[in-house]
Amino acid sequence: MTWSRKPKTTVAAHLKRCGVPRREFLQFCTQLMVAAPFGLAITDKATAEEVAREVGKARRPSVIWLHFQDCTGCTESLLRTSKPDLADLILHVISLDYHETLMAACGHQAEAALSQAVKDNAGKFVLVVEGSIPTKDQGIYMKLAGKPALNVLKDVAAQAGAIIAIGSCASWGGIPSADPNPTGAVGVDDIIKNKPVVNLPGCPPNPYTLLGVVFQFARKGTLPELDELHRPKFAYDRVIHDHCPRRAHFDAGRFTLQYGDEGHRHGWCLYKLGCKGPDTHAGCSTRHFNEIPDVWPIGIGVPCIGCTEKHLAFRVPLFDLVPIHDATPPDTYPPVHTSIGSISAAGVGMVSVIGGALGGAAWAAARRFRSSEDEAAIIEARLENSDKDHPDVEGR
Amino acid sequence: MKHIIVRWQRGVPVYAVPKITPFFVFLCVMGAVSIVLSAYREWAGLGPTTGMNDIYAWGIWKTFNTMVLTGLGSGGFSVGIAAWIFYRRDLHSVMRTAVLTSFVAYFSGLVALGVDVGRPWNFYQVLMPWTWNAHSPLLEVAVCMPLYACVPLFLENTPPLIERWYYTWPRFRPFIMKYLVPAIGSTYPYVIALAYALPMMHQSSLGALMLLGGSRVHVLWQSPFLPLLYVWAAGFLGYACVIGVLMVSCLSWKRPMDMRILGVLARIMSWLILTWSVFRFLDILARGQIGAAFDFDRFSLLFWLETLLLVCPSVYLLWGGNRRIPSRLFLADVLIAVGGMLYRYDPTSFAFTARPGAVYFPSAIEVLIAAGYVCLAIAAFVLAAKYLPILPAPFSGWYDMEHYARVVHPDWKLEIHDLSHQNRPNFAN
Amino acid sequence: MELTRREALRSVISKCVPVATAALSLPAAEAAEMPPQPKAPVGMLYDTTLCIGCKACVVACAEANDLPRDVSLDGLHQAPEDLNAFTKNIIKLYKPHEQSPDSFVKQQCMHCIDPACVAACPFKALWKNDGNGIVAWEPSRCIGCRYCEIACAYHVPKFEWDMINPKIVKCELCQPRLAKGYEPACTSVCPTHAVIFGPREDLLSQAKERIEQAPDKYFENRVYGEHEAGGTQVLYLSHVSFEDIGLPDVGPAAIPARLKWQKRIYKFLALPLLMYAMLASIMKKNWIDHRREMREEEERTGLRPQL
Repeated sequence: MTWSRKPKTTVAAHLKRCGVPRREFLQFCTQLMVAAPFGLAITDKATAEEVAREVGKARRPSVIWLHFQDCTGCTESLLRTSKPDLADLILHVISLDYHETLMAACGHQAEAALSQAVKDNAGKFVLVVEGSIPTKDQGIYMKLAGKPALNVLKDVAAQAGAIIAIGSCASWGGIPSADPNPTGAVGVDDIIKNKPVVNLPGCPPNPYTLLGVVFQFARKGTLPELDELHRPKFAYDRVIHDHCPRRAHFDAGRFTLQYGDEGHRHGWCLYKLGCKGPDTHAGCSTRHFNEIPDVWPIGIGVPCIGCTEKHLAFRVPLFDLVPIHDATPPDTYPPVHTSIGSISAAGVGMVSVIGGALGGAAWAAARRFRSSEDEAAIIEARLENSDKDHPDVEGR
Repeated sequence: MKHIIVRWQRGVPVYAVPKITPFFVFLCVMGAVSIVLSAYREWAGLGPTTGMNDIYAWGIWKTFNTMVLTGLGSGGFSVGIAAWIFYRRDLHSVMRTAVLTSFVAYFSGLVALGVDVGRPWNFYQVLMPWTWNAHSPLLEVAVCMPLYACVPLFLENTPPLIERWYYTWPRFRPFIMKYLVPAIGSTYPYVIALAYALPMMHQSSLGALMLLGGSRVHVLWQSPFLPLLYVWAAGFLGYACVIGVLMVSCLSWKRPMDMRILGVLARIMSWLILTWSVFRFLDILARGQIGAAFDFDRFSLLFWLETLLLVCPSVYLLWGGNRRIPSRLFLADVLIAVGGMLYRYDPTSFAFTARPGAVYFPSAIEVLIAAGYVCLAIAAFVLAAKYLPILPAPFSGWYDMEHYARVVHPDWKLEIHDLSHQNRPNFAN
Repeated sequence: MELTRREALRSVISKCVPVATAALSLPAAEAAEMPPQPKAPVGMLYDTTLCIGCKACVVACAEANDLPRDVSLDGLHQAPEDLNAFTKNIIKLYKPHEQSPDSFVKQQCMHCIDPACVAACPFKALWKNDGNGIVAWEPSRCIGCRYCEIACAYHVPKFEWDMINPKIVKCELCQPRLAKGYEPACTSVCPTHAVIFGPREDLLSQAKERIEQAPDKYFENRVYGEHEAGGTQVLYLSHVSFEDIGLPDVGPAAIPARLKWQKRIYKFLALPLLMYAMLASIMKKNWIDHRREMREEEERTGLRPQL
């Protein structure tokens, strides 16, 4: 691939110069919109044309892709995009300056390519990390050109403009971190603490999620809104269970109990087979895989394994049931007389305080009256008769 | 000058006490808190600040501050009828206290009403008769109460103010003598008559409000005579409040009490209560609901609580010399006030079972605002009693104050009469 | 001169009673007190035996009235539990326990012939259309006093407690749709025609026909709303008791009839003015006595008298 020393042209100009039909670019933008319907700064536009305009203005972002303890599945997922196809993507839309699987160079040439790419685009390139990083024994379990992955990551990340950890391995450790984790595999954000890292967990994640993040960075220089695990909210805010096409079966109590049984053939809910959907944040239920509708685990009848979640994937047995966090839909027929209103403790306290104060004051006043009346009572009884003689004039 | 038999003859300001006391500061702080919280309620809406909900749509502001406390503040009306319509000369000395209590109670009740409505910007319609739904009892209340508070009640409260100006503002004196006093003299009878006609209307309309509650108001309260019972209750509650206010004021400011006048007030109140109770019982009997009083559920217990709180102290006060003994009168009066307030409050709340499963309790903010308005009313009363000649005292009390004023304010020109008459003590100073 | 109680009473009776009897005992007066009946009342007939609880009517109502999502229950699911500021129409289920007979019930405004809310509203913000009889709410007149909520026996009007500009929310029979010639949203989507729309007369006769054709199917063989509260424009046929499905036993009298003595007493403000005249005349007499006594007191004590 080319790493041009010229200032990067905009994506639109580049595509035009290379003769990529606009229709294909628009299709790519439509895919982006599907992948990231909201929450992505460049795709909150109404039409593909508008997105195209936005994306077109982006300068072809420089992307450096590092592989560590990976299976290359995330790259494979990227390869399965067809709008645009990979060639268009890496030649025209982004500037993929270093990618071990796809680059032509090898050996010393590859090493030089990496250092050159880092130097040329220092502070501006997007670093995509695939695969976990071993940390045990000074990180000798994965080396790149003789250098431990740990050091490579730290050096390259120091110069990066944005860091994206693609895949569960880079996000939190993935398969290599499964018990007993002999290599001390961890995710990127366990090592890089001083820069924001966008985690895109999944095994593999949807490639359009990656592209959405890259383009927002290229166009706006910002990263999308992230949740507390640094995952972009536009793709990871919902659990599978809340948008699963088989949810009605779950709600109605229709479950598959064994692979191949009647329920399985009818497409019933897979919860009892250990589906981790209720506890897994991902968008697979809407953005399927390989760009073929319904090609995603539950769609083809296999329960979700929770591949995005650190506490589930490669830890909890596949057939174990997960707890349901959000309430099941409420009993949807309310009773004829629904209860309403509440009694606040603060209100009760306030009323009791005031009532007590008033009662106490009344009692204290009565006591003071009593003490003053003793002398007056006797005298007044004696002098009552003088009332009738002098009704209105004071006695002096 | 120690007087064993005290006769209240005229109002005298409370002198020789500090104007600002810790209690007064506390009242002002509570008042300020309620004003701030009211502003917050206007900004945030009724939902977040109160405990009201769609079934108990009226919280304590409309029901307690407006319905109950203005009943308590009916002293100007009920004592006034005895003092002016039935011309009880001896009650004239307490009239100023009674109308001032009414004034502060009504204004605080009206402010609470204003804070309670959810869309106050449309309230201007109260000035446009063509927008009125004349059959609605709430309209009658919304028109009649402010009218009463702003016109006759306000005018009834101006004489103490004018009197103070007369004594302390010599340059204003000619104007007072030439215009104000004759104006008062010619219009006062009509103003006072209005001041008794209007409360009869709106206090009964307050009762009529719950007529529309139908069977949701428990049978022991719901009656076609609810308006009459309410205005009657306002009558004796007014007496209870006036007696209580007089006694507490005299106690705290060390003024002598005239047990004879207080006894008269108590006797009138007790007879009002007893006849009211009989009427209420007859009404329940006539509607065939007397069985409900013996159900011993929470409603019948509430009913008996009210009745006992009202009837027992009344009988007690009519008995022998109990009225003349301050502590007994005070305790009986407090119980009567509580019982009367309970009666007026029940049909809107405790005896109002709107729907099974619905509950209401005021939120802390609601309670604070309600309490704060009451504190403002009390603070206004306290301040007025210290500056204006309101609280009753014997004639000697006036001369004592005059002497005190001369010593403390030598610059005041208190000489008012060229009549150097008999019986006027000569203060050689 | 002190006015004795006897004299005062005599004065009252002599002046008031003849006037009162004359003004109030006319039978014509009673008839004139009834509010005008709507000319062509429309309404709905709801039959619990046909309702399947699909809640299409709830959804249609929310859509037609542009209501916000009612997630008041758990903040997530649109499952209204009751009529409220976001819900004008709701389906509830009466089923106290597993073995009991059960029934769905649709709750919304009953559009009474003589509505309590209209009689209660101080500024006519809730008003009844004298053509089709629909009870509607006018924001420019409402002061938010919520008296309508207290007055309505069916607990229909709801208040937007959490808004700074709160409205009263209730079913208004989709007046904009009616104006265009459509039916109300709920009746137009009901798959089993459990709730139907039409002129009240027709619905009433249809209901009675159903009762005739299936005796003892419907509770007490009668229609709720024919006479209740003076008649309502929304009628109910039920196979369980009306009380169970939340329709209270309000009796045949219209609820505003409870205010009839109030209306009579305040008619033309005659009695209040009479009362005022009486009080003023007594006061005038007492005032003269009072002035005289004040002069005497001033002479005696040298103090300017107080009022």
